[in-house]
Amino acid sequence: MTNLRQLLLAAITLLCFFFAEAENRSEYVTYRPVLSAYTLDIGTAHIADTYLSPLRYNGFSTAFSYERMQAMRFNPERWIMQLHISPEFARTLNPARNSYIYDLNIHGSWAMMARFRMPATWLTLMAGGSTGADLGMLYAPRNGNNPVSAKASWTVNATAAAVARFRLGRLPIVARYQAEMALAGVFFSPSYGELYYEISLGNHRKLAHGAWPGNYIRLNNYITTDLLFGATSLRIGYNNYIASTSASNIVTRRITHCFTLGITTEWLSLPLRNTSRFPSADARIISAMY
Amino acid sequence: MNRLSLKNIFLTSIITSVTIAAILLFPACHSIEKWESDPQGNFDALWTILDEHYCFFEDKNIDWNDIYASYRSKVKKEMEADEFFNLCAEMLATLRDGHVNLSSPFNTSYYRKWWSDYPQNFNKRLIEEHYLNFDYAAAGGVIYKELPGRNVGYMRYSSFSGGIGETMLDMMLYGFRETDGLIIDIRDNGGGNMTNVEKLASRFLAERTLAGYISHKTGPGHNDFSEPFAYYFEPSKRVRWFKPVIVLTNRSTFSAANNFVSVMQYLPQVLIVGAHTGGGSGMPYTSEIPCGWSVRMSASPVYDRNMNTTEQGIAPSAGCAIDLDPEAEAQGIDTMLEFAIILLNRLAQENKPDESDRGSRSVGAMCDVGNPSAPVQIKALSF
Repeated sequence: MTNLRQLLLAAITLLCFFFAEAENRSEYVTYRPVLSAYTLDIGTAHIADTYLSPLRYNGFSTAFSYERMQAMRFNPERWIMQLHISPEFARTLNPARNSYIYDLNIHGSWAMMARFRMPATWLTLMAGGSTGADLGMLYAPRNGNNPVSAKASWTVNATAAAVARFRLGRLPIVARYQAEMALAGVFFSPSYGELYYEISLGNHRKLAHGAWPGNYIRLNNYITTDLLFGATSLRIGYNNYIASTSASNIVTRRITHCFTLGITTEWLSLPLRNTSRFPSADARIISAMY
Repeated sequence: MNRLSLKNIFLTSIITSVTIAAILLFPACHSIEKWESDPQGNFDALWTILDEHYCFFEDKNIDWNDIYASYRSKVKKEMEADEFFNLCAEMLATLRDGHVNLSSPFNTSYYRKWWSDYPQNFNKRLIEEHYLNFDYAAAGGVIYKELPGRNVGYMRYSSFSGGIGETMLDMMLYGFRETDGLIIDIRDNGGGNMTNVEKLASRFLAERTLAGYISHKTGPGHNDFSEPFAYYFEPSKRVRWFKPVIVLTNRSTFSAANNFVSVMQYLPQVLIVGAHTGGGSGMPYTSEIPCGWSVRMSASPVYDRNMNTTEQGIAPSAGCAIDLDPEAEAQGIDTMLEFAIILLNRLAQENKPDESDRGSRSVGAMCDVGNPSAPVQIKALSF
């Protein structure tokens, strides 16, 4: 608990530090277009859950992801927000290839990052915090009374990104590397040999566990390259998800490596009946990433 | 904004830290024991899984380390699959537990002595031919009929895995309302879903009732158990039965059926008649070994409402132990069922209810057969 308290204090201090920047407001009229990305992730999954099996399962993983980024209202040049929602599915086989574990999960997170343009103007760094939740289950149909290992968590995370803008010939490209790491939170785990039947009878003791990097490791690595063809961009990338939890002598590990393909659009919401509110010549359009 | 200020340096260092942590944490994932997929690795995996999850080592006074020493030396790297399987099955049999199985594509191991060393005490054909006349109602996993000329309701539930519909129970119990009592025949019932236990037992409950306790392993140690958790069954809101009930059991009454007996034995209107049940009070848990064979074992002990273990089975009520007589069986008589019928007829004579007690309605239930506030106290009788 002491570790958890220290982590929370550090996170709060960091946030206060960031928000101190919020007073430097721009005097320009600013417009904040929304960057939306719809991507499909396909790749490999590597799952182990000692509640279901001591063996490591391997198979394929797929996910649909929606990402939304926008500069924030209070200090748009400095602060951006990022919403990420991703339903995921994986089907994996044991080494003997005679038993499956299915992974169904939905992940959602909301991040706020400060961005810092480096002296090299093609590079922007972003750093901040996020909060998110995962809800899902691992399902091993062969197991009689313990076929499911439910997963639920809420965490506060640190996130950082590096965005580079360059051209490949005449084609503008925006490349990004972003990492997100869980720092603290809470997650669900049954006791070592506790069957869900017992939970259904009403025994809800010791199901929630405080999360900290010692018992809850979760890391997302995103590499994306947006090929800017116009209003719509093609997004190609790589997504790596690493999760490892240890609670009640149960270890769960989920790792995916996925190729990402999708589209991104950047759009601005304007009132059609009031042209006076259209961007004027001196207005500033502040993109979240570009 | 483009200045490389102290703050920028600070934040750059955060980004670098997260990235470095991302790289460093990859190998730092929590460790999971790994075994080779050869006979020795599979044996070690099997032994370890049982060592860490099986729940009756202490109750049965089993020295699992000693068993490892005895069997591990017999495992050879060049063993054939069936030879290895048989060796593992032999080791698992030392647990003397019907809930322990090793399943391979070509065989599943069972410890059968928990019932094979005892009289079977059940003949399905005998019942259907001589008591039901091959004419009975059947719904889901239940067959039922009012036994002709005996004024007793009979239901047979062959497996708690079979469905048991609420409407069927309503129809059956209400249909038996004029009989002397009900026989629930769960001989040869090897268990199934615990939810069906509650569904059936709830028809005989007048109030929220302590059904028993359940515990689970909290760690890999042989004595790492949670505090037993008391679980309760709620009375049904549909047709309930408070006339005498006899639960017929034999040695093959096992697992969830054994649990049903452990709950019913404490109800005032219930007697357990027949033979000692087979036990199987550990809720099974499934795992697997590297070659892909699955292994099932008792992992969560369930106790009755007095915190007694029922792993070794439950004895019939006092004076109600009876076997199936083979000679009578040859003449078309099920001596266990006959005992139950005669007992119910006798109980009806001795406990003639007031008119007000018959079919009385109660608040919260669709209909009660018998009087829920004063069910027939048949355990006070001597036999």
